[in-house]
Amino acid sequence: MNKNRMYPTWFVFGALLLYGVLYVLPSLMGIGLSFTDWSIYSEELHFVGLKNIQTVFSSDYNYTHALLNTLKFTVVTTLVKNVLGLALAVLMTKQVKLLNFHRAVLYLPCVLSALIVGMIFKSVLNPRDGLLNRTLRALGLDFMALRWLTDSKIAFNSVMAVDIWKGMGYIMTILIAGIMSISPVYYEAARIDGGNAWQCFRHITLPMLTPTLTVTTVLNVLYGLKVFDTVYALTNGGPGHATEVLYTTVFREFSLGRYAVGTTLSSVMAVLMVSAGYFMIRHMVREEGDPA
Amino acid sequence: MKRFLSIVLAAMLLMTAAALADDVTITYMASQDWVQDAEMELGKKFTEQTGIKVDYQIIPSDQYTTLLMNKLSKGECTDLFGSQAGQFDIVTQLNVEKNAVDLSGEAWASTVDPLASAETSVGGKLYGQPVQDVSAVWAVAYNKKVFEKLNLSVPTNYEEFKAVCEAIKADGMIPVYEAVSDGWHHQLWFCEMGVAIEHAEPGTAEKLNSNQMGFADSATAKKLVEQIKEMADLGYWGDNYMANAYSDAAKAIATGECAMTVANQGFPTEIHAAYPDFPAEDIGFFVMPLCDNQVLNMNPVGPTRFIFSGSAHIEEAKQYLAFLAEPENIQYLIDNVPKFNTLPFIGAKDVYSEEISAFYAAYPEHGTVYQTSVKYVNPQWMEIGSELTAVLLGDETPEEMLKAIDRNRADQALAAQDPAWN
Repeated sequence: MNKNRMYPTWFVFGALLLYGVLYVLPSLMGIGLSFTDWSIYSEELHFVGLKNIQTVFSSDYNYTHALLNTLKFTVVTTLVKNVLGLALAVLMTKQVKLLNFHRAVLYLPCVLSALIVGMIFKSVLNPRDGLLNRTLRALGLDFMALRWLTDSKIAFNSVMAVDIWKGMGYIMTILIAGIMSISPVYYEAARIDGGNAWQCFRHITLPMLTPTLTVTTVLNVLYGLKVFDTVYALTNGGPGHATEVLYTTVFREFSLGRYAVGTTLSSVMAVLMVSAGYFMIRHMVREEGDPA
Repeated sequence: MKRFLSIVLAAMLLMTAAALADDVTITYMASQDWVQDAEMELGKKFTEQTGIKVDYQIIPSDQYTTLLMNKLSKGECTDLFGSQAGQFDIVTQLNVEKNAVDLSGEAWASTVDPLASAETSVGGKLYGQPVQDVSAVWAVAYNKKVFEKLNLSVPTNYEEFKAVCEAIKADGMIPVYEAVSDGWHHQLWFCEMGVAIEHAEPGTAEKLNSNQMGFADSATAKKLVEQIKEMADLGYWGDNYMANAYSDAAKAIATGECAMTVANQGFPTEIHAAYPDFPAEDIGFFVMPLCDNQVLNMNPVGPTRFIFSGSAHIEEAKQYLAFLAEPENIQYLIDNVPKFNTLPFIGAKDVYSEEISAFYAAYPEHGTVYQTSVKYVNPQWMEIGSELTAVLLGDETPEEMLKAIDRNRADQALAAQDPAWN
């Protein structure tokens, strides 16, 4: 036994109890309710086996479309936010005039409520009177003035773009902290050896930032899987069902009184998030434990 | 001195606490367009008389139903809430016997128009108070000056309607102002035309209610959806209809951008109130002529106020409803809300113009719209809107839309253990 350990094991029980009651228990109850016909229309609960799971994955309904949209949203926003956040972080750690002002401006969108961002962009992306299309038309780029939120083929891309705009400042801030913690000695040594900016970035910044990038990836993946507010405020899942994600579907199912199906979707999502979280945390722990 | 100050401070604290304790605020949540400025004015008067404040929570219409149903499902809600009524839906969707307060004992209950009362009652008990003018029907409101200029007459069938739209379009105007972004308006072309289905295929409502057929089995329903899509595809709704909001309908007609829109009979007064240079008499009405419809689409029900059964201020909420139902306040609402021509209370004096009376008289055959006469249609109003949007975008076929409606109805009926589906 390690006698230098600061706290006894039983200290964790309080946290475990709270976590168990507030997170694990409701999730397990949700999974249990997924096997019933719970709805607004009846006070009684009946066991229905795997019927709700079949419904969720049935081609008759739009749930798989929402699931795929959620996964697409997660992958695309995670990648783009990380890439753009990293580019901005590298830029914002250079000698730039009004550095803090620029950092604040880039960080600002993530402070705004998703609902406010949604309302602003609904107006900005209005096909006829929106700021974006007016600007494009004024520049003679009429062919680029698209129906950003009302064309089912591009609406989901617009939603992802707005979310990336909102979230990349946050990722940038975390990565700035990561870059600042890299000792300048490495860069000085590289310069003496004749390394250019790209080589410094490729062989010093990027490897040293890997743990921070892992954290931002985990944060983005978990955020992406449970996205709701941005989609709700911008399109409410429309036009038609084009931008439905799992949680807008869950919200709709509850509003239609189909609680069991809503709970089943939530449970599917919970299983997905727990699995994603488990593997990512395992990967992070392995990285931390790696002496290299 | 210190002691004296402490006593004064403590006394002030107690007085503030007492004042706050007396200060009751009731909260009323409703969809936008359901709470009129005139009602809020009456709310101020109510506060002056009773000391009870009314906090109006107005929610965007595309989010309201979802939000309300989520709140009710969790057993929480504001003191008063607005919802569409309907004898079937207030049981299956709102579960008013559990979620709302029985208002049968209120003095004003007997003054509610019997037709409206039947749609807000369960087992002889009244649960809601009508909010709007239910005599009005959703019809095509048109700019008479444009029709005169282009020498057009009121269409009596779909082909004539298309000819009218073509003539207006050729003149450089958008024929019809349609608003899809709100999520509640464009499906009026389908749901209100239940009267056309019933006219073409008598007994359909009964068969739908007894699960002997679905919407997908109705050729008229399919034709309706196809014609709605055709209108949009032919450009009769312009190119911005997906992003349009219904609140801009008056502007679109008054500025001459569009010639027609689906509206109810309060629209002429509403447009004149917002644009005084545009005379109310310049707006005429005709029924939506899809599937050659000539039946007046009646709906004896509309948005309704309910008191949440879990409210801590049931008595205060009842006082508010009683106040609104006082004859002078009913009349105040009729006189001051442009879109109200009357309210469904016995003794209310209507303000129908000759034009509107003539419109009603022009269509002697009346029918009830399907969101009221057919079960499990109104609860999925927004869902029908999403399905219809998918059809307009070409993401779904009319058959798929009708099958989706049938599937949603069946899901609700099965969950409600409706004997016709079990």
